[in-house]
Amino acid sequence: MIKPSDDIIIKTLARVLAPFILLYALYVIMHGHHSPGGGFQGGVIMGASLVLLAITHGLKETQKRMSEKSVAIFSSLGVLIYAGIGVLCLILLGNFLDYSKLAKLLNVPLAQARSLGILGVEIGVGLAVMAVMFSIFYNIAMGGKRSEKDNR
Amino acid sequence: MVEVTLLIEAMDTSFGLLEDARKKAVDLLDTAVKLTSETRGVEEKKIQTILKGAQEAKLEFLNVIATFVILLGFWVLLSGNYDFFHLTLGVICSFLVAFLTHDLLFANTRVGDAKVIFQRFIAYIPWLLYQIVSSNIHVALIALSKKNPIDPRIIRFKTKLESDISWVTLANSITLTPGTITMDIKDGEFFVHALDKKVADDLHAGEMEDRVAHVFMEADHIYVQDVLDVAPIFGELRKGL
Amino acid sequence: MDIFFLVMGMGLCILVLFVLYRVVYGPGVFNRVAALSAIGNKTLIILLIMGFVYHRVEMFIDISMVYALLNFIGTIAASKYLEMEGSIV
Repeated sequence: MIKPSDDIIIKTLARVLAPFILLYALYVIMHGHHSPGGGFQGGVIMGASLVLLAITHGLKETQKRMSEKSVAIFSSLGVLIYAGIGVLCLILLGNFLDYSKLAKLLNVPLAQARSLGILGVEIGVGLAVMAVMFSIFYNIAMGGKRSEKDNR
Repeated sequence: MVEVTLLIEAMDTSFGLLEDARKKAVDLLDTAVKLTSETRGVEEKKIQTILKGAQEAKLEFLNVIATFVILLGFWVLLSGNYDFFHLTLGVICSFLVAFLTHDLLFANTRVGDAKVIFQRFIAYIPWLLYQIVSSNIHVALIALSKKNPIDPRIIRFKTKLESDISWVTLANSITLTPGTITMDIKDGEFFVHALDKKVADDLHAGEMEDRVAHVFMEADHIYVQDVLDVAPIFGELRKGL
Repeated sequence: MDIFFLVMGMGLCILVLFVLYRVVYGPGVFNRVAALSAIGNKTLIILLIMGFVYHRVEMFIDISMVYALLNFIGTIAASKYLEMEGSIV
């Protein structure tokens, strides 16, 4: 269990910077086509912001924001979005992850349909990576012990 | 003779009946008073909790809106292209982040003061840059001289600032000017490591502390939001006089 | 203008070599952590200067912001680990 640090400078700076780090991670995901970035990099930065909150404010406070149940839901949601877009392209009589078939569904030109399909897939990847990064950090910090509420 | 005793008996019974009726009436009145005061206390407590919940909900709503505006400004600064698609993405992402972390940014200050604090902070930055440059020249002269006249010491001083953001701003300003480094803050008391006597005297004079107190509106400054809250009531009183 | 930035970049690299002495020979671990943080500061500026040399500043600003963030979190994590004398749990 990580105890909260008793240095007030680091606590205040971490709590003021955390929303900006999260927004920067979402910016990196959304602008993957235009500047360096993409899904995986944005997911790692989101996980890093959660780790920053956990080191400075203690592990219990961070668990109130992102409990283990939320972590499991986010990781499954990311994989669901990725596979869901692929299967949607299968249903519309194309190959798996063949984004050109989405043009009929969204009424946009062909190139923009491909761009939107890739954006959706990157969002799924980012969510899954953030959840897994925080889960790995949490398991190593707890040292193998589980809390009493989880034994169900 | 019999009529007098009969009359006295009748008066006795009637007085007894009146006594009983009086006692019963007093009992009924007592229970009625007790019941109404209990229900009044319970109802007052219910009204108090509803009011406080409404106040906190209103504060949370203001926090979400203010955080959303700041984050949207940050997004527009980062992203170069201002076409419709990217701006819509920016609005959705800013709203999501503001909803998740709305109690982080404005934890100890009031949202109404944010505009004034922002303007005063932007006016404070050029003075800080001037201090950095002058301290830089002083430390460079010390480091390049042959006699090497450094005299390191640790200073403690208590501040008059109250909230944690003003403490952090003062500590960062002290660390940014070369020659002084903030080591620790314990219960409002600063531990600073200074390089020689001149920078230590500059710190003890307290000009940086006064300027930071002016930026964050503390330490015998009037809170703007308090005046704005009281102003309409004051106007009504003056009309009545 | 390119030559100016190239010379500044090379000067900063030589300054990084001076700080590297403290990372290798610093007696104790606290000297090494502080020197690594100083090297991170200089790396940030060198990345931006490279952006000017290649005429694509916007790309390198994103990269340097991510590196600044990771340097910050790394220094805090290392100092917290050393404070607890070898264990976070």
